[in-house]
Amino acid sequence: MDGPMRVLVTGGSGLVGRAIERVVKEGEGREGEEWIFLSSKETNLVSAEETRAAFQKHRPTHVIHLAAMVGGLYRNMRQNLDFWRDNVHINDNVLHMSQEFGVVKVVSCLSTCVFPDKTTYPIDETMMHNGAPHESNYGYAYAKRMIDVHNRACFQQYGLRYTAVIPTNIFGPHDNFNIEDGHVMPGLVHKTYLAKKEGKPLEVWGSGRALRQFIFSVDLARLFVWALREYDEVEPIIASVGEEEEQSIKDAVDAVVEGFGFKGEVIYDTSRSDGQIKKTASNAKLRKYLPDFKFTPFKEAVKETCDWLAANYEIARK
Amino acid sequence: MDGPVGAMRVLVTGGSGLVGRAIERVVKEEEEGGREGEEWIFLSSKDANLMSAEETRSVFQKYRPTHVIHLAAMVGGLFRNMRQNLDFWRNNIFINDNVLQTAHEFGVVKVVSCLSTCIFPDKTTYPIDETMIHNGPPHESNFGYAYAKRMIDVHNRACFQQYGRRYTAVIPTNVFGPHDNFNIEDGHVLPGLIHKTYLAKKEGKPLQVWGSGRPLRQFIYSLDLARLFVWVLREYDEVEPIILSVGEEDELSIKDAVDAVVEALGFKGDVIYDTSKADGQFKKTASNAKLRKYLPDFKFTPFKAAIKETCDWFVANNDIARK
Repeated sequence: MDGPMRVLVTGGSGLVGRAIERVVKEGEGREGEEWIFLSSKETNLVSAEETRAAFQKHRPTHVIHLAAMVGGLYRNMRQNLDFWRDNVHINDNVLHMSQEFGVVKVVSCLSTCVFPDKTTYPIDETMMHNGAPHESNYGYAYAKRMIDVHNRACFQQYGLRYTAVIPTNIFGPHDNFNIEDGHVMPGLVHKTYLAKKEGKPLEVWGSGRALRQFIFSVDLARLFVWALREYDEVEPIIASVGEEEEQSIKDAVDAVVEGFGFKGEVIYDTSRSDGQIKKTASNAKLRKYLPDFKFTPFKEAVKETCDWLAANYEIARK
Repeated sequence: MDGPVGAMRVLVTGGSGLVGRAIERVVKEEEEGGREGEEWIFLSSKDANLMSAEETRSVFQKYRPTHVIHLAAMVGGLFRNMRQNLDFWRNNIFINDNVLQTAHEFGVVKVVSCLSTCIFPDKTTYPIDETMIHNGPPHESNFGYAYAKRMIDVHNRACFQQYGRRYTAVIPTNVFGPHDNFNIEDGHVLPGLIHKTYLAKKEGKPLQVWGSGRPLRQFIYSLDLARLFVWVLREYDEVEPIILSVGEEDELSIKDAVDAVVEALGFKGDVIYDTSKADGQFKKTASNAKLRKYLPDFKFTPFKAAIKETCDWFVANNDIARK
């Protein structure tokens, strides 16, 4: 490839997209590179025509593909068909246009929540297709898995090294803090903010016993940029803190409560679903490539996220 | 649903193919086939390119079906799949999404799609059954096609969960019969064998069979499959798919199939097995216990009779046969 990179980031205004934008501006970007952050306001990637128009306009050499229809546990359970179809369309449009427009490399975004429900732990990159995903979000899960199928088929038929990253639970500034439909961390952060503001108890859905590995969006962003530049495999790579850093939802609650200085009561509503009890992922492959990569300490990252919401409450997505 | 209560208007996609033609024959010629007041429309790729959402919609607008039998797909034999997994993945996803989504939007009461035992997990215990489709990755040789077909079942389950639609699917084993694609390079094993034996006989040359002849398959005659498709459309209410096959006890080797074709065409020359060519999956034994639970007395056409009928058809229709 001649000349510098022109990187198109789909889902550029989201949690991970904003974090990549920040790390690119603060030192990860290089001389002569162009980074374009696309949002759904400009382009509806469910439409093939609009996707084509975006590629024609921006002519990227590289793509970081983050755009997706996403939601928390409860929304997935209600709309598995929509999550399946819209995400398949988005992914096919982006991957196909990339190939048509001669994009050298695409790094897509999967998730540990797409792995088989019945499995041994820790899960690793080779296990993604080894069984059916969890019933709660199989529409989303299969659509994401099919990114890997597309990548492998595209490599086999055309020799293109499109790949994917598999984060665990992501959190950070610019998240979707919607309590009903968002993910667990931003939901907790928002609820604690409101509980403190209104002087009410903090109500946590589920038992608090579910276990998760959390990755700060800024750390994930640095890993995405590394994967784009250096990671050459078609097989995806898990981007996560190690197994030893796994936390319970209660641990997360405690960190958020501390982050806001919340002094009220904390109640666990056990009538609500816990989702998967554990999803422990191995980051051995990542550690093989980057033995010295330093993750932001959890409490520090949570504090930064709480501070961000408090400072940006009006404009935050909720 | 328009028209008199109980009157079906059935759209059959892939209507000019192996299974479509068999359904057409069953519906027109058999007592158990089409019923009074029903309309059966057999669509081919000439009428509509189902990879296009717009063309699919036009076809549904034109015919307004109440039911759909969805057979259309991009298909091919072992060697073509191995070369073009991306195309098999993408084109079939488009076809399936277009048909299933458009059917839902047009209020189609029931869609019966067509899967295959070749999409099941490669590493598995035998016999395979309907609950096992998603239990692991499919065989490397055709993973694009396999995943696209599996996703029909995902779509059906999600559509039932979100909208209550009882769209379902059948899972045949190896299908054969008149009107097949007899292309030797890209076709499936039985039509390929029939065409090669026909040519070997005509040209006075040996019959060259690809692979060792040892892989095992359950073969189902297209006419039998067609009768079962019509039954599923009318009577089978589950969203979970159903395997349509002869029983495990009727599993045959490729060599058995070769012998039946040789006998049917009266071929007297040498038969050579080219072991440098891939065998594909060694076995795919499927259980038809679920089918037998519903239809304990269903009679399959005996294999040699079905092969003879297929060979006779190919000889009589050699000029128009797809090859």
